[in-house]
Amino acid sequence: MEREGCELSRLMRHISETPLEFLQEPRLGQHGTVAVSAVVGDLCRSHGFEPGAAALDAFAIGTPKSDRNRLRVSLLLTWVLGESWFHATDLREAPLLPLLLQGARELSEYAAAEKLVSDPERREELARFCLARLGFRPQGETRAQAEDRLTSLSAAERARVLHASREAEERARAVREALVRQAAEESADKYTRE
Amino acid sequence: MTEPSDLERYPTLTEDGRRMLERLREHPHAPIFRNASGNRLTPEDVETVRAFEREVSQAIIGDQREQSSPWLAEYLARVYREVPFYRAMGGAPRRLSDVPCVGRADLAHDVARFVPDSAPIERLINFRTSGTTGHPLLIASHPVVAASYLAFHRRALLRFGVTLRASRGDVGVVLLGYQRKCFTYVSVTPTLDEAGLVKLNLYPEDWRDPEDRRKYLEHLAPEVLAGDPISFVELLKLGVALRPRALLSTSMTLLPALRRELEEWFACSVVDLYSLNEAGPVAAFDPSCGGHVLLQHRLLIEILDATGKPLPRGQRGEVTLTGGFNFCLPLVRYRTGDFASLSLCGTEPVLIELEGRAPVQFRSQAGVWLNNIEVTHALQPFGLRQFQLQQGRDGALRLRVAGLGPELPALRAALLGLFGSEQALTVEELDEPSGKLCQFSSELVP
Repeated sequence: MEREGCELSRLMRHISETPLEFLQEPRLGQHGTVAVSAVVGDLCRSHGFEPGAAALDAFAIGTPKSDRNRLRVSLLLTWVLGESWFHATDLREAPLLPLLLQGARELSEYAAAEKLVSDPERREELARFCLARLGFRPQGETRAQAEDRLTSLSAAERARVLHASREAEERARAVREALVRQAAEESADKYTRE
Repeated sequence: MTEPSDLERYPTLTEDGRRMLERLREHPHAPIFRNASGNRLTPEDVETVRAFEREVSQAIIGDQREQSSPWLAEYLARVYREVPFYRAMGGAPRRLSDVPCVGRADLAHDVARFVPDSAPIERLINFRTSGTTGHPLLIASHPVVAASYLAFHRRALLRFGVTLRASRGDVGVVLLGYQRKCFTYVSVTPTLDEAGLVKLNLYPEDWRDPEDRRKYLEHLAPEVLAGDPISFVELLKLGVALRPRALLSTSMTLLPALRRELEEWFACSVVDLYSLNEAGPVAAFDPSCGGHVLLQHRLLIEILDATGKPLPRGQRGEVTLTGGFNFCLPLVRYRTGDFASLSLCGTEPVLIELEGRAPVQFRSQAGVWLNNIEVTHALQPFGLRQFQLQQGRDGALRLRVAGLGPELPALRAALLGLFGSEQALTVEELDEPSGKLCQFSSELVP
């Protein structure tokens, strides 16, 4: 959230205007109608990069039971990212595909796609989540404010923070262990000692 | 834990290097080497260290202003991205003065929080430091960092007209200690074509015959002798006939009288280095500049007052470091506990009247003089956060410990084991000191 993004209200309004086409069933085998991979591909190209077939495969495979909501959230995210502010912003270096894939997976574990549109709090969550994962904070907010608000709103974000915190703790433990190993103590060639 | 193999200790060892190790270990007058160690440098590491030596030799040291340190902004951004302690604070501030200071206590509390995500855990090494400010520390480091010290030694020595020439078949350096318990080993230095490196203890108990100390040193004929003032005093007593090209003194204040004596005896330059485990060699004393000339080009030194406010040039305050070459422990506004003022010698920045670490010796009940490092060793198993030992004119000891716990009897026993069972000793609680803690002091003079 290093950079300031657009106004939150603008994104939330855009989400509330989501066309029904972006909430339709994703195509998975014989099921569904919308080819999410094609929509994602178009979006990436409109932002100036070619995602490649292998990356797009992840938006076309799975089973209705386990991947339906994930792909619906991906589809919804393509609508959010179609907002004119995103198009006016250079996102070539931004983690667009990770947001559409991993971010959608995380969100879909806690909310149905329709709910992210119809419920005001979930709309705010979706808008903030999108900005945050691309490295932006809502206009007029400090990084701390934006982080606090997102964490309080979003179960997915809370889960991510918890996971990151566990990972950090795990690494700190590994560093502590490495430092007290006998091997670490003895490998110490220096031309002088303090 | 299995003992590392020679291949792990010396990944680039050649037959010549192996012969050097054998010669150092198996000489008839060699000491009892208590430990093993190695350079652990891979062929790629050796190239990295050589490139770094070239960079350091050509670098220009800036005037220590934030605006004339072009590397600083990117450095701060990386630290705030990769170091858990700083990442938790949010984005990198625009100005260095907006970053909170840290000190030894912060590192001692949990050094792992200061190790960046990019530091390779499998290659971490550590340096233990007793320090003089009461916080024993374990410093995260890497074989490349350890080997990079030499780049700054070369730079310092060049000021005195000394260019290192040791190579295959020579002994590059002997590191001297004079402690009851000392880490001793032999190694080779790949960037010097496997010149030998020996760390030894002049304490007589480490030798089969005390006279072997002189004979072994004379056999080695090292290009450089490195040590602290206490070990150099002991070295002078041996009357060794050596012609090293330079002496490097670290760890404690090198008093002028001892410097002169060493220069006269060895007929070479004696370079007093200001070097910290946390940052490596920071500066070298140059009499022609009247202070310690800075050695590192990616290390910014601030002089701060007690509140953390930067002081103007010429005013005395605490030496505070940002940057450095230890990529396993990047420092940001690290308060060293050492004091000096910053000045310029021509265009070179110099630390004036650096208050280093004075060696302290304590008298045991039997009248034997013990140095402060031995006290640190005796107390090390207790993992004390802070302690202070004072010896009064009557020889009585007063140990003050922060957070006295159930280990008090064992703590007493450890000190009495060192000083003698009838030694007068009081142990008290140490309140958090507000300023710099004088860890060791004695009213007795050897």
